[in-house]
Amino acid sequence: MNALVVASVGNGLVWIVWVVAGFSLLASGVAVVSFSNPFYSALALIGNLASLAVMYLLLSAEFVAAAQVLVYAGAVMVMFLFVIAYVGPRREEAWSGGPTWQSVGAVLAAGALLVEIVVAVGLQASGHLGSDGKVGPAFGTPAWIGRVFLTDHLLAFEITSVVLLIAAVGGVILGSHARRGVPNPEASTR
Amino acid sequence: MSGPGVAWYIAIAGFLFGIGALGVLIRRNPLIVLLSLELMLNSANLALIAFARHFHNGAGQVFALAVMAVAASEVCVGLGLVVALNRKRLRLDVDSLSELRG
Amino acid sequence: MTGGAWLCLAAPLGGTIAILLCGTRIPRAAAGWISTSSVAVAFAGAIWAFFGVHSQSRPQIIGFGNALPQRGELTTAWTWLQSATGHHVFSVGLQLLVDPLSAVMMLIVSGVGMLIVLYSVGYMDGDDEERRYFAYISFFVFSMLLLVEGGNLLLLLVGWGLVGLSSYLLIGFWHERPSAVQAAKKAFVMNAVGDATMALAFFILIAHTHSLSFGVLSVHLSSTETSLVALGLLGGAVAKSAQIPLQTWLPDAMEGPTPVSALIHAATMVTAGVYLIARTHAIFEQARTVELIAAGTGALTLLVAGLIALVQTDIKRVIAYSTMSQIGYMFLGVGVGAYSAGMFHLLTHAFFKALLFMAAGLVIHAVANEQDIRKLRGVGKLMPFTKWCFLAGALALVGIPPFSGFFSKDSIVASAAALGTWYGWIFWVCGVLGALLTGLYTFRLWFLVFPGEPSPFVREHYHDHHGREGAWTMLVPVGILALLATFGGWLQWAPKWHPFTSWLAPAAPTLAAAAPTSTQEYFTSAATVIAGLAGIAIAWAVYSEQRLAIPAAPFLRRTFEHKFWFDELYDAVFYRPAAALAGVLFREFEEPVVLQTGPDLGETTLAAGDLMRRIQTGLLRTYVLFLAGGAAAVVLAFLIVR
Repeated sequence: MNALVVASVGNGLVWIVWVVAGFSLLASGVAVVSFSNPFYSALALIGNLASLAVMYLLLSAEFVAAAQVLVYAGAVMVMFLFVIAYVGPRREEAWSGGPTWQSVGAVLAAGALLVEIVVAVGLQASGHLGSDGKVGPAFGTPAWIGRVFLTDHLLAFEITSVVLLIAAVGGVILGSHARRGVPNPEASTR
Repeated sequence: MSGPGVAWYIAIAGFLFGIGALGVLIRRNPLIVLLSLELMLNSANLALIAFARHFHNGAGQVFALAVMAVAASEVCVGLGLVVALNRKRLRLDVDSLSELRG
Repeated sequence: MTGGAWLCLAAPLGGTIAILLCGTRIPRAAAGWISTSSVAVAFAGAIWAFFGVHSQSRPQIIGFGNALPQRGELTTAWTWLQSATGHHVFSVGLQLLVDPLSAVMMLIVSGVGMLIVLYSVGYMDGDDEERRYFAYISFFVFSMLLLVEGGNLLLLLVGWGLVGLSSYLLIGFWHERPSAVQAAKKAFVMNAVGDATMALAFFILIAHTHSLSFGVLSVHLSSTETSLVALGLLGGAVAKSAQIPLQTWLPDAMEGPTPVSALIHAATMVTAGVYLIARTHAIFEQARTVELIAAGTGALTLLVAGLIALVQTDIKRVIAYSTMSQIGYMFLGVGVGAYSAGMFHLLTHAFFKALLFMAAGLVIHAVANEQDIRKLRGVGKLMPFTKWCFLAGALALVGIPPFSGFFSKDSIVASAAALGTWYGWIFWVCGVLGALLTGLYTFRLWFLVFPGEPSPFVREHYHDHHGREGAWTMLVPVGILALLATFGGWLQWAPKWHPFTSWLAPAAPTLAAAAPTSTQEYFTSAATVIAGLAGIAIAWAVYSEQRLAIPAAPFLRRTFEHKFWFDELYDAVFYRPAAALAGVLFREFEEPVVLQTGPDLGETTLAAGDLMRRIQTGLLRTYVLFLAGGAAAVVLAFLIVR
């Protein structure tokens, strides 16, 4: 009886946390797309990342959640904010100019993708996406992830590191100062 | 404890993906475009983690980590481009970079 | 003997190919010598074949399907085409036939051809396009030999068509001259009419006998079919030999160089019709009426052509109408059934007509290419050799003994008398009248051009060739032909000795109805000789001594000058409607639809390209939109399929 009560309370808690996290996820997503000031969009994305981390926790992916906050929110978004600050303030009306064929098409395409995903999920839900069972306690722990990463998916590990190296080099080259003597013919006003 | 089934998570990921796609297609500031791109990548990550949980397969989480690393690299390069654009005093507007116009 | 036949056929073709391949790498004169030697090799091959047939000890059945033993040999290289319907197999092989008739034609074509090609070396010397000329001439000799050596009707038709082509190419040789181009087209189109009727005749033969070998001509079809086949063959013969009503192309064909006129339009191609009737005599004998129509056509043509020749002022045209007239005699001969008489006249005619053309060519060449006889007077004084050769040819043409024409022409006219019927006597009268006309126009020509004092025009423009009347390459053939024209007829004098008729008997035996008695022969000979001499006397009186005046008769004169209005008739009936129709079609259909297709395609492609260009906006967002749309479509497809 106790176990049942605890279980149902636990279940209800999970649902509440899920609903809150899902709501904030979607709201911050809309915010990212809608703000005209890129600084605010970046802040909204940080909120998004935090909600995602909560979702990951619900899915027994503790290490990934930690990595998300550390790497994504900690490093990538900080880089974003640096560049936004460097570039300076600029405002752009998100939905200015009325519905062009581009925007109409964009809404249609995004909507179509969304509908298709929902339909796919709905259709397959009967067969394969039933309620899950239990997972072991080691599922999602850093030790477990590390072992899987370095044994089953070693190739992915190595390639990822190469990609990171290339990106770093690319970033340096792109960000370096222009060589002397190269003219700037396409100077335009900000 | 059971909670929402994996279908709920996928649905949320789908919505997030759609919002991110909308942002990429509509916004003109390259920084916002990159942010929307991040949104899409994260939605994919969510789907991966959800399936990993559902099928008891660690590959999903591993892959999510790899995606995170690649997203970081791509953001690095993208921001480098924005910085270069800015240094050349070009307008930060994807519509003005239209030299491939036929 | 078949080796001779193959050599005879292949040598001129080899000459043509050699000249074409060498192109401008060889000097112009070399092309002429290649051509001459190739035809000379052909002549050697013809002699070889001739002796092969001659020495054949016993007659053989050549496999024509009829039981008559033939002489000669039919050799097959390979099966050319073959088709089967039901249990009938129609197959045509690449066959050459060497028999007495084809051996005679081979000798004539290659022998006289060799002399004329040698003459061309001198005549065409200095022309810019000499090589092309000699390639064409060798090709013509090859085509004509294919025609006479063809072992079945289809190969004969191939040769027939090729000689038409060669004639077109050579008449229009000086293609910068619009009149030459017109004449070439006219010749080709009129020959095509004959080709069409021949093809129709062949279709009937194939439909009923499933074969085109020479043996099918002896097969008995129904009488309408036989008449139709014979009419079709006659149509082809009439077109090729320039008989009425398809004769208008021959005078215009004189636009070609003189050796071409000598070879093609006197000695060989125009006689192909006569050869055809002799070769296919089996079916003509079954359709006797058609054969007599052929004889009637010949009789009519020989008179009409003789009348027209009386008023011509171009030296080559006179000789051209003379050719038309003499071929009329040959048609008369083969039409009544005297095949060997017609072929014998073909032989002697080849000699003296080629001689006349070539002698005229000597005159033309020497007097600045002038062909109008009103300006050429007294040339004989400056060119005695030419004068005497021309005289020999003229006497042979009129048929004065002992020159060659006498022996051949009289046999034909006597055969007409031998028929005994009413039309036979009409033909006989036509023949005798024709002899009178021949004497008249030939010696009108001779008296106007050769004897007497040279006219001022001639004195001014005459230039000799290093002291002689022409190059040796021109004089030697003329001399040889003069000898042949003088003595060649002694081969056969029908009442007394006739090796020629016996030679041809296995291939083309004279009909019994057309074999004249000795009395008829002597009587006819006397009549024609007297008629000829009378014609010469009148010509001498009118044109030389100016004693007689010609009656004015303006209507007759106009009719003769307009060639009996045939050209005007054909122009009104055939050419004008066709030209009008062509104009209408061009305006209404070809220009707006066909010619516009090209530009329209181009414009459509450009317009499509413009439309596609709108996709290339250059905007990043557009391309990403396409990506997203494409991804949505792919997912949709997945969902539907799975």
